[in-house]
Amino acid sequence: MSFSDQEILETVRMIELETLDIRTITLGISLWDCADSDIDASCEKIYAKIVHHGKDVVAVGNSISSDYGIPIVNKRIATTPISFVAAASGAKDLTPFAKAMDAAAERCGVDFIGGFTSYVHKGYTNTDRALFDSIPSALASTKRVCSSVSLASTRAGINMDAVNHFAQVVLDTAHATADQGGLGAAKLVCFCNAVEDNPFVAGAHIGVGEAETVVNVGVSGPGVVRSALARLGPEADLLAVAETVKRTAFKITRMGELVGREAARRLGTSFGIVDVSLAPTPAIGDSVADILELIGVDRTGAPGTTAALALLTDAVKKGGAMASSSVGGLSGAFIPVSEDAGMIRAVQTGALSLAKLEAMTSVCSVGLDMVAVPGDTPVDVIAGIIADEMAIGMINNKTTAVRLLPIPGRKVGETVDWGGLLGTAIVQDPGRFGARILHGRGGRVPAPLQGYKN
Amino acid sequence: MARRFLTSEDLRRLAAGGKEVIVDEETIVTAAAQELARAHGILIVTGRGSAWKEPTPDRGPDAERAQRTLPHLPEPQGDPDEVVTGVVVTAVGRNRPGILAEITTAIAATQGSVHDISQKMVEGYFHMVVTVELPPGTMFGAVKRHMECLGGPEDYVVRVMHERVFRFMHRI
Repeated sequence: MSFSDQEILETVRMIELETLDIRTITLGISLWDCADSDIDASCEKIYAKIVHHGKDVVAVGNSISSDYGIPIVNKRIATTPISFVAAASGAKDLTPFAKAMDAAAERCGVDFIGGFTSYVHKGYTNTDRALFDSIPSALASTKRVCSSVSLASTRAGINMDAVNHFAQVVLDTAHATADQGGLGAAKLVCFCNAVEDNPFVAGAHIGVGEAETVVNVGVSGPGVVRSALARLGPEADLLAVAETVKRTAFKITRMGELVGREAARRLGTSFGIVDVSLAPTPAIGDSVADILELIGVDRTGAPGTTAALALLTDAVKKGGAMASSSVGGLSGAFIPVSEDAGMIRAVQTGALSLAKLEAMTSVCSVGLDMVAVPGDTPVDVIAGIIADEMAIGMINNKTTAVRLLPIPGRKVGETVDWGGLLGTAIVQDPGRFGARILHGRGGRVPAPLQGYKN
Repeated sequence: MARRFLTSEDLRRLAAGGKEVIVDEETIVTAAAQELARAHGILIVTGRGSAWKEPTPDRGPDAERAQRTLPHLPEPQGDPDEVVTGVVVTAVGRNRPGILAEITTAIAATQGSVHDISQKMVEGYFHMVVTVELPPGTMFGAVKRHMECLGGPEDYVVRVMHERVFRFMHRI
């Protein structure tokens, strides 16, 4: 099969100059069979099973990267939600489960493992409550474990008791890791309409309908889309912009499809999904905010930003859907504030407020992500922010998430620098008013009419 | 009864003073159980009497089906061992005499045959694209390592990619 020089150079340019990469190969491992009435036995089984299946994932990722010349940045593991596995033990403190996961992740050589997870969108089991209470110590005493919880869904409504509880857990986790700038909260996320095949941390886990083992792949390429739009120029109309994004997303997804199939073949397992998400990094040019500004807003957060983001997210999904029968996960555009140099610039210049960010999450593929707030933000304010985001997801039948970072000891406008992929966070202003009575009521926001589809 | 795991607690109970514990070939013996067995001289054996060793991971029923039915894009027809591997070599760098010769000599050393070649000069820099077919059985990784040693940061840079990457990205 022959290719034109233009096709060949386009692919090489994407990888060499535009930071196109496979962001993650995530091996999902079911831990259902690790349940045991004895917590030590259960943890032993968890460690054994993760290592048994996951010990080759890094080597396989590296070999594919070397064989095809495609960068594969992260190799990760996602597990069955631990609340299900831990239930049989009746344990009140689930930290030992997190420690077993952490040790197994270290043994496998992966940087993160997701699955310290609980589904409480309708109600708690005893183990769910224990898991919530264990999150601060679990994240403070491990390095690689990520935790996620499902607090709401279009079918079930919003579990406000869990939202309130989770808000306190976020604060406690940040304070338990105060010596690292509240880093624990960066490994903790809550969802409305959680996706059960998400390969990206912190929300990675494999849900109840998933297979024994499965490979899910996350592809990224904000830099590629940005360059394609820069070449298109400011004269082209919005249909041309959407078409350019769609074509680019198609090509990015195809590369994810190739890597996913190959990883599944080499690991001897099934290929789950490609998550085609424009996931920014702090690297220059690898920014979703830059794309929004190329589409035509002066600064991300200015009027028009939500419309530009809606066009972008939709075009990415369309390109991805054409390219693969297995598009899943979150697929769209991520807008994590601290991880995107353009978003940080927008916050610094006063263009992007928390309120505008919330509006943007109604059309992006995830939600309020990596948003820093003062460490002394009251719990009812945190709960209110989470509840708003859950409501957007519930009514619009989409996934929304919140990863808030209450930075201990920091005030509005101050910064905290974690380095690496997590980037630099600027503490944003959550406003002067709270929601004390709403917070105090508890209970459940009933499922909306949109949920009654039978 | 098939045993999924053998934990240290299982080992204590099953050994009960004895020196041998029988497990299935597929049983996963936890690290703690293996250590305990070593410390107490307990042998872990399979039903056939051979010493237990870590089983090949059982990736589950879906995996078995996926391996059989994994939908592939149209691949070259025929026995995989008989099919040539397509490789795309690109080189970019400052121009000087002998670069083309160096690259084609390296390709010849891998037994590859040049299928297509093109070169452009832009302001003293050359841009070369060579499509190569490697004979059946050639290890792509070895060819890639061999070719990418050419040139250098101050000279020219060679990148070798599998043809499949371009097929996936540019063909439906």
